[in-house]
Amino acid sequence: MNEISYIIQVLVSGLGLGCIYGLIGIGYCVIYNASGIVNFAQGAFVMLGGMITQLLLWNHGVPLLLSGAIAVACVVAIAIVIERIVVRPLWDRNASTFVMILATLAVQIVLEGATLLIAGDQPKTLPVFTDLPPLRIGTVAISYQLIWIAAASAVIIFGLAAFFGHTRVGKAMRACAINREAAALQGIRVSTMLMMAFALSAALGAIAGILVTPTQVTAFNVGLPFAIAGFIAAIVGGFGRPFGAFLGGLALGVTQAGAVVVFGSGFKSGAALAVLLIFLFVRPQGILGTAK
Amino acid sequence: MRKIAMIGMFLAGSAAAFMGQANAAEAYKIGISAGLTGYVATIDRAWSDAVKLAADHLNAQGGIMGRQIEVVVEDNKSEPQAAVTSYKKMISSDQVDIFVSGCVSAGNFAAAGNVVRAKLPMVLCSILPTQPDHLKWAFTMIPPPRFEVEVRLKYLQDKTQIKKIGVIYDPSPYATVQKTIAEKSAANFGLEVVGIEQYKHDEPDLSAQINKLKSEGAQAILKMGVGGTTLTAAKNIKQLGLDMLMLTSLEDVAVLKPVGDVLGDKFFFVASPAQVYQALPEGALKAEIDQFLKPWRAKFGDRDPNWAGRGWDGVMLIKRAIENAKSFEGPKVRDAIEKIAGFQGTTGIYNFSPENHQGLTENPLYLAQFKGGVATLAQ
Repeated sequence: MNEISYIIQVLVSGLGLGCIYGLIGIGYCVIYNASGIVNFAQGAFVMLGGMITQLLLWNHGVPLLLSGAIAVACVVAIAIVIERIVVRPLWDRNASTFVMILATLAVQIVLEGATLLIAGDQPKTLPVFTDLPPLRIGTVAISYQLIWIAAASAVIIFGLAAFFGHTRVGKAMRACAINREAAALQGIRVSTMLMMAFALSAALGAIAGILVTPTQVTAFNVGLPFAIAGFIAAIVGGFGRPFGAFLGGLALGVTQAGAVVVFGSGFKSGAALAVLLIFLFVRPQGILGTAK
Repeated sequence: MRKIAMIGMFLAGSAAAFMGQANAAEAYKIGISAGLTGYVATIDRAWSDAVKLAADHLNAQGGIMGRQIEVVVEDNKSEPQAAVTSYKKMISSDQVDIFVSGCVSAGNFAAAGNVVRAKLPMVLCSILPTQPDHLKWAFTMIPPPRFEVEVRLKYLQDKTQIKKIGVIYDPSPYATVQKTIAEKSAANFGLEVVGIEQYKHDEPDLSAQINKLKSEGAQAILKMGVGGTTLTAAKNIKQLGLDMLMLTSLEDVAVLKPVGDVLGDKFFFVASPAQVYQALPEGALKAEIDQFLKPWRAKFGDRDPNWAGRGWDGVMLIKRAIENAKSFEGPKVRDAIEKIAGFQGTTGIYNFSPENHQGLTENPLYLAQFKGGVATLAQ
């Protein structure tokens, strides 16, 4: 493998992981836009997506596709319960941003603990969706799972664009993002939008978890690193901008991979964060600018 | 006056007898700081379960010199800071008599100062602390890290045409030591280390590190470290379509089996004798493993016996030391362990001395791979 092929290969791997970071980042934006809440339980949705799918597939023999669909439904249901019993009561009392962050972080920890009790702490994985040798373009290998991740990400991005641009619910959520009080005066039930935002965000997180688990392992404690990566993606993209968050995720994935090439693996995360920090010094509003 | 003296002697005798009875009745407490959760959970749970099994086994036979054994376990979550807290709690609240702790090396190192001040010996599943005053009180049941490295390098030298290798390792002291040994000793086996890359326990993707090693010409990867990242690395190698071998450290078979499913005959792992029990010749080692495997399998079925066997050995070693010292006192037990030689354990023969607190002096490890889902000796 020559130097150019090697660099392209590393960047391709970084893009794959970046897609996952991006989907998680979008989850942050969807909830933030509907409510102004930064949901730090987002990583738990990713973890639960992979864990529930694995549980259904291996322990109950449910086919992968059906396991994934049930897992997404379960995670959405869990998110709605969280919204109802944790977030909504605080939101109704106009709790501060810090309180909401603490509450969602506590939810993340509780969900981790519950998963630990139910599923144990051993790492688990899922089979790749297409078990074939990777495609080769020259000496660069592209795994089918990476293609699944990229394709699913593209479908989700276009689906979200259509949802927010052409459906009543999507438009209502955008209205909440622009001005919640004005949206409420127009007859939009803002609290319902909050619940739907949590459901959508959870679905995105669960799908990300299902897509990424075949490339690695999942366990009760994988959520927090993903939550942090998704949060960074959302900030780099311009907080509140779903498509920006996706671009931010790609930027983070590629920067992490590139940092291994340039600085060595020991500095992978540090170097990637330093580069992104420098970027934010230059453009503090993020790639697409912060949502207003 | 004579009457008073006699009453005094009677009372003193009664008190001494009472104290002696109380001492005999008081349990001998073994403390375990183990990563029951976190990335070393598989190892440390097996270790602590085997320590408890050995204690139950000895208790059923009357304990050690008439004293029953009580095991106190604290979960250090595989984190050094939590390990220090667990050690402090067991020293001050539980007042344990000795430690038989798990494999979180950094945690054992960090807590060693407290343990030494309490004058308690430590029998460990980790590498030894390097500070001389800490080392004096610490003994390990695991093979020296170089054994794990050498068995892999030797296999590559003897059985393959591979000349260039890459190393990936996590930042734990144990894996870091192995990395350094591989770097220094590869040339002795006709191998060149073309690259060394680090990863973190929770890293979701090792493609960048593996790609880098491949681009530097590595034909095989030596992975130093345990946990789920071994499976991640295997999946990355397969997804990148790389024609490379991966040789990993000692690990629980339950963790390694999915790795074998992913990489097939390109995957090798260092195995202890208990993990390839069926392939062992008859002899003292196999008989000792058998002694342990009977109660282990009766209680835990087919669960991996590797780390567990050493936990069992640790308790039996302590029993031998106490009996030799004829004392339960920490300093005397420590001195007695130092004098134990020719102790047959489930991993090999332990020969301790004041200069050597790493009992295994001959490499007892094998290189293994999965065939038909069963761990077998690599050919």
